[in-house]
Amino acid sequence: MSSPVYRGLVVATLAAAIPALPLAAQELRIGLASEPSSADPHFHNLGPNNQLRRNIFESLVGTDEAQQLTPLLAESWAPVSDTSWQFNLRKDVTFSDGSPFDAHDVVYTVCRIPGVPDSPSLFTTYTGGITGLEVVDPHTLIVHSAEPYPLMPTEFSTFGIISARANGVDGSALTFSPEGCGNDMPVPATQAFNDGSAAIGTGPFLLDSFRRGEGISLVRNPDYWGEAAHWERVTMLPLTSEGPRVAALIAGDVDFVENPPLQDLERLNADPGLRVVQGISNRVIYIHLDHKQVPSPMITGTDGANPLQDIRVREALTIAVNRDAIVERIMGGVAVSAGELLPPGMFGAHEDGDLPPRAFDADRAKALLAEAGYPNGFGITIGTPNDRYINDAQVAQAVAQMWARIGVETQIDASTASTFFSRRNAFEFSAYLAGWGAGTGEMSSPLRALLATRNSDLGLGGTNRGQYSNPAMDAVLLEALRTVDDTARENLLRQASRMAMDDYAIIPLHYEVTPWAMRAAIDYTPRADQYTLPYMIRPAN
Amino acid sequence: MSADIQIPDENDPGRLWRLASRLSAIAVLAALLMLLSGTGLPPLMARFILLIGLIILAAVLLRGKYAKFFSGPAAYVATASLLVLVVLAIFAAELSPQNPYDLRQLDIMDGRQPPGSTNFDKTMTFHLGTDEQGRDILSGILYGLRVSLSVSLVATLMAMVIGVVVGIYAAWAGGRIEAILMRIVDFQLSFPSILVALMLMAAFGRGLDKIVIALIIVQWAYYARTVRGTALSETRKEYIDAARGLGLPAWRIVFGHLLPNCIPPLIVISTVQVANTIVLESSLSFLGVGVPITQPSLGLLIANGYGYMLSGQYWMSMYPGIALLAIVAAINMVGDRLRDTLNPRLSR
Repeated sequence: MSSPVYRGLVVATLAAAIPALPLAAQELRIGLASEPSSADPHFHNLGPNNQLRRNIFESLVGTDEAQQLTPLLAESWAPVSDTSWQFNLRKDVTFSDGSPFDAHDVVYTVCRIPGVPDSPSLFTTYTGGITGLEVVDPHTLIVHSAEPYPLMPTEFSTFGIISARANGVDGSALTFSPEGCGNDMPVPATQAFNDGSAAIGTGPFLLDSFRRGEGISLVRNPDYWGEAAHWERVTMLPLTSEGPRVAALIAGDVDFVENPPLQDLERLNADPGLRVVQGISNRVIYIHLDHKQVPSPMITGTDGANPLQDIRVREALTIAVNRDAIVERIMGGVAVSAGELLPPGMFGAHEDGDLPPRAFDADRAKALLAEAGYPNGFGITIGTPNDRYINDAQVAQAVAQMWARIGVETQIDASTASTFFSRRNAFEFSAYLAGWGAGTGEMSSPLRALLATRNSDLGLGGTNRGQYSNPAMDAVLLEALRTVDDTARENLLRQASRMAMDDYAIIPLHYEVTPWAMRAAIDYTPRADQYTLPYMIRPAN
Repeated sequence: MSADIQIPDENDPGRLWRLASRLSAIAVLAALLMLLSGTGLPPLMARFILLIGLIILAAVLLRGKYAKFFSGPAAYVATASLLVLVVLAIFAAELSPQNPYDLRQLDIMDGRQPPGSTNFDKTMTFHLGTDEQGRDILSGILYGLRVSLSVSLVATLMAMVIGVVVGIYAAWAGGRIEAILMRIVDFQLSFPSILVALMLMAAFGRGLDKIVIALIIVQWAYYARTVRGTALSETRKEYIDAARGLGLPAWRIVFGHLLPNCIPPLIVISTVQVANTIVLESSLSFLGVGVPITQPSLGLLIANGYGYMLSGQYWMSMYPGIALLAIVAAINMVGDRLRDTLNPRLSR
């Protein structure tokens, strides 16, 4: 039996069996859409870095799929006074070198964070508000701040803990002060994390190798305190262009890819050997309007007036947009129409249906424009990036279509992200399309950044490039930022959000949905923070 | 003064041709201006004048050399396809079923429909399908052809004017001025044109006027170098000495005697350059720095549909791609024939 046909069959059978082998060997290969810049958990506050960090270095507080806080290295936490929080730490945790984890490691970590050399973006954003760390006993930590700090547990979910002992520091001799913990404290260099020698964490995986441009390799932590990861070995390959990434999945070179392009989802879904999961993200795509400049740039046909200062015009522009059509036709169904700045289910957002997207009504929009004194509309230009968000320029173009229908002559000024953002920051647009991802996963993040009256001393309105100002909403928001009680704070945030939406301060379009594609044999629960976490990837049931 | 010496001859056929070429050149320019400014004659009439003027200009150019130009079937095919494409471009507004630049006529609910489907109200058939904004691809191609052709024609002509002035001036002045001008040309030519154009567009922003300026800046150096070469050899010739001996002013010698004799090689490069300019404009638009996205040219149409190639919605990129291929191939083939016809060296 050695006919060519038979041999061909054998070869074909073997070839078909090969893609199935790695799963049996409990190895997972992932195609990353963007590569981390370092394995150092405190080097660069960047999505891909934080995603890798969670596998190796855990934080005190964890976050679930909807970015709600969950216990991790801290079993529980609670405010003990207006300006201090107590964290009760787990007692059964050891670092991967065998040294036990305790509160001194947290102090050591917070001490290291401000001093990372050459860091493009420090984690002091999260630790800057800490004025004191008090080690009551090795597993009880009290964190002090100057002001009431309701978001302190959220801040402690953003950075991973490194070991003091493994780096040759006697943690009990260390005292924290915001000015520094003493210059003689030995800290590992960023390079030591990248080559693996300092990559000693408490996480479900150990760093096996980190090679920029080539890939990252993780192995399972055999002594992990929690539920062990399913995979013995995880390889993450940077496949930054969309086409090759999807092709690698289809060809079986990788088992799992981040961010497959929208236009390929239909095809991937149709393949019985593959699975696509998608989840709503914390990023809203919005159009911000110029509330302040008179005359507003690139507005024509109004004799110098700024029509956007009239709430009727803002309402008309809001209801002229058919969000469902954009979601269906431009986003290929992979987005959710937005009624405010944070999707339902996240902290401070309204329950599903309580503040729905404004219904599309072109006739009423026309009537409102006429009522406001613009029966023939006016001319406006939407500024938009063309390479930052999913289909950004196409979405802007669809909005332009819809505005043109109610008589508002709309042009599109699309440019590459760096150009767009510098022009936007110089207030060169009277309307611009952009997106905001709520890093903290709750409503104060978009409200503070996009709608609070600009005030650099209070850190408010940093991205409010429409210069919206509503003192009543500011007051509610500031009260929320001072309120430690969760229920009261959530109600205040909802109230502030509703006030802004009723004032048509900004035009929310849709929430982006993040897709992941994988072999049908594995499964992943979509996450609002858009992270790909190998220890959460499981075989499908 | 040279005109005074010339003896007028009513029977000179050249006189008629010269008159025709001047009249049609003026008519073409006037029609173009009217179309661009939207004033004067009704657009349809202006378009006819433009088309007829262009045909007469081409006929003048090939006067007495038709047999040589149409020496094979390829020449007929290329000329015919160029003529068809030019007609399509000039009459795009009348021929296309939709104005793809008028956002009010687009509906994203008609987006990504395959060729042959109809719109929601069944009032219109999309013969080549639609892109994701609901833009009819056929209309997009016709308007895109017009943008691509007019942008490259205008840019080529203006680059030629600048290049000719610089090149002739360098050749005439000589010495240090020539050295400086030609080093600038060398410097510019040492950069790939797409790179320079990309940088310029990043600095200027989007817009038809800006892309024309960028294309002029990228291209003038080719003409300057060519014209200087030709002019250098012409200035050594006897008729220039004769003109000098007559005591003519320098500008008159340069523009009345030197320039006309530098023209034939220019015509040849400019036809090839028009095709190159179309490709360059399309590349810039494809890369997202060219025309405004609400007024797509062929390159932008291809870019819009590019992402959907893998998912089987081929028509968004493929048909504009074919149109681009056709226009570039037609211009190049006609340019080749022109070179063979007009190049005096080949006729010896």
